[in-house]
Amino acid sequence: MFLTRSEYDRGVNTFSPEGRLFQVEYALEAIKLGSTAIGIETTDGVLLAVEKRVTSGLLVADSIEKILEIDHHLGCAMSGLTADSRTMIDHARVEAQNHHFTYDEKIPVESVTQAVCDLALRFGEGAEGEKSIMSRPFGVALLVAGCDERGGQLYLADPSGTYTRYKAKAIGAGSEGAQTELQEEYYDTITLAEAEALALKVLKQVMEEKLTADNIQVAAVTPSLGFHVYSQEKLQTVVDSL
Amino acid sequence: MAARVELETTGFDFGLTRRNAALESKGTTAPKATKTGTTIVGLIFKDGVVLGADTRATEGPIVADKNCEKIHYIAPNMYCCGAGTAADTEFTTNMISSQMELHSLSTGRETRVVTAMTMLKQYLFRYQGHISAALVLGGYDVTGPHLYTIYPHGSTDKLPFVTMGSGSLAAMAIFESRWRKDMERQDAIDLVKDAIEAGIFNDLGSGSNVDVCVIEKGHVDYLRNYARPNERALKEQSYTFARGTTAVLKSSVRHLVQVTDEDAMDTTL
Amino acid sequence: MDFAALAPSANSVMPSVHPTSQAKEAAFSPYEDHGGTNLAIAGADFCVIASDTRQSNGYHINTRFAPKTFKLTDKTVLTTAGCQPDCNMVATRVRQHIEWYKYTHNRSISTAAIAQMLSIMLYQKRFFPYYDFNILGGLDEEGRGAVYSYDSIGSMERVPCQCCGSASALIQPFLDNQVRNKNQKGKEEVTAFDPVAKLSLETTLKIVKDAFTSATERDIYTGDSLQIFIVTRDGVEEQRYPLKRD
Repeated sequence: MFLTRSEYDRGVNTFSPEGRLFQVEYALEAIKLGSTAIGIETTDGVLLAVEKRVTSGLLVADSIEKILEIDHHLGCAMSGLTADSRTMIDHARVEAQNHHFTYDEKIPVESVTQAVCDLALRFGEGAEGEKSIMSRPFGVALLVAGCDERGGQLYLADPSGTYTRYKAKAIGAGSEGAQTELQEEYYDTITLAEAEALALKVLKQVMEEKLTADNIQVAAVTPSLGFHVYSQEKLQTVVDSL
Repeated sequence: MAARVELETTGFDFGLTRRNAALESKGTTAPKATKTGTTIVGLIFKDGVVLGADTRATEGPIVADKNCEKIHYIAPNMYCCGAGTAADTEFTTNMISSQMELHSLSTGRETRVVTAMTMLKQYLFRYQGHISAALVLGGYDVTGPHLYTIYPHGSTDKLPFVTMGSGSLAAMAIFESRWRKDMERQDAIDLVKDAIEAGIFNDLGSGSNVDVCVIEKGHVDYLRNYARPNERALKEQSYTFARGTTAVLKSSVRHLVQVTDEDAMDTTL
Repeated sequence: MDFAALAPSANSVMPSVHPTSQAKEAAFSPYEDHGGTNLAIAGADFCVIASDTRQSNGYHINTRFAPKTFKLTDKTVLTTAGCQPDCNMVATRVRQHIEWYKYTHNRSISTAAIAQMLSIMLYQKRFFPYYDFNILGGLDEEGRGAVYSYDSIGSMERVPCQCCGSASALIQPFLDNQVRNKNQKGKEEVTAFDPVAKLSLETTLKIVKDAFTSATERDIYTGDSLQIFIVTRDGVEEQRYPLKRD
């Protein structure tokens, strides 16, 4: 199979005779190498949880950041080549601020996701002469979580430029197992506290190392508090209650 | 040695011209004059002259007077419509009117229209257009009916039908399409009314009502507000205020005269 | 100031200035005033936006029916006065942005969002402004009447009532007194902290009509006909009334 691809898998602008863009498909593969990230929509907000690969005792765990704020009501978790997410999150933050400036209101969650996805295929020149911003597709997927007047929402934005809304979604190395677990455990009336337990339980199952408060990061977006990352103490209590 | 002051006894006083120019260059604005952005017309018909005018006076974009009189009396057989600066038209026509009266007394004859026209144009020419009076002069004298226009710089026209003021084009459009030689009296009045109304409705400087003046041999009909095509609509509600609506911030009473009880003013109203 | 120096002397001569001997500057004047008056009043659960339809240039009437109030959405109306092409351009651009907003965010835009957007649109032309005075009227997200008033370069304020255009100096004091209860002892003033008039729709319409018939009496640029837009939760209703044409 790989032999037949050799002619067409280099150019990002060239379809294969079967109608595939191999570079984009490879980018999707890159996500599967990343650390696991989980998002869950609940009745009172959206939860994001990621594993941090603390590969050495000398590594300062705090320096790994895989959940970031986009706006007061928006956050995102990532998996894959996290360096690529810089461009996307910068863009998302600018879009969110622009919307607030122009309309004096919060940007809808779906709109900010769309804005991020608009970047995904900007590796060639755009139809209206926009500069290409990178030479290859992004190697990162984002779980965008947020609350607007339509309630809490969770979206997955992947390197193909597609976005999909999920009630619960896992991405990264352990995504296969995690997604199966989520599928079984998820129910529509799940609360934020219950989702915390579920997310950590799932992470625990797919992580290679033992799950501690140091090698995970958890955040939530709620209508009242907006986006907030869990403090070390809070994380510890959640881990302890498992 | 006592200084002797001699005052000019006639004409305008230009004493403050240079002071005003200096003040204006330093940013003071001169007070605005009331203009009669106007429609005035006149025509000759079978038995005499008909003059017409609208009744709006303006101060910039604001209507200063909704029903002013623009057809001025010159002599018993002669009237004059004025457009331009209200004060200029009023004083010019008033002054010529009194000179015509004196002229008539000293000659013992009825004044002629051409005399008034000549005095007006000489007067206006002297002031080089600074007196902004644009006039339509009409009358009936021993030589028959006469109709003149006099421009602010002193030029004149003698024509069978004339219009002046900011609404002159609208009014002239009506005259050009409908004026005929030797028209009947009522037809002439109707035509003048329609010409003034064209100005009233199509020129923003003109408005409100139509004044008409019919001058025939030995007889004048001044038809003030001959047509009133712009009555104000009734207001939707009244805007009276309850007693005490205006706050009294402070009061002080000074007794300048002694008021006895019997003479006290009735303040219960 | 030394007035003595300015007094005319006997032999003083006014300097003669020959017109052709002076340098002349060819001025570029892209602005024209087309007159007209607009107002808007915010009620508890309605908003009334009104304008006359005369469009003039100097003493000339261009047309007796040139609408300058624009329905933007089912709950927002924009009214404009000033230079007609500038007014039209602003309305067209606002409408275009509303469409874009709808396509981008898949929902209808709120009055407050349009208000902010218009402010920015005007400020973007800070150094070559639109000659256009705007009032935005409609219902806010709570269903209360909302009036936003602007200057030509985007300064914005939410107010209970506002009048702009050629007769604004005549009508605004009347609205301040009748709608905001200003200068009326014993009546509660309507302030910017709660910018909604305490009037019924019926009374509001009477005030609007009286404002326009009265302004028509004294402002030469206002007249011909009156357009009133009434915004309620049921949508936007338009009414038309004749005004004096002189």
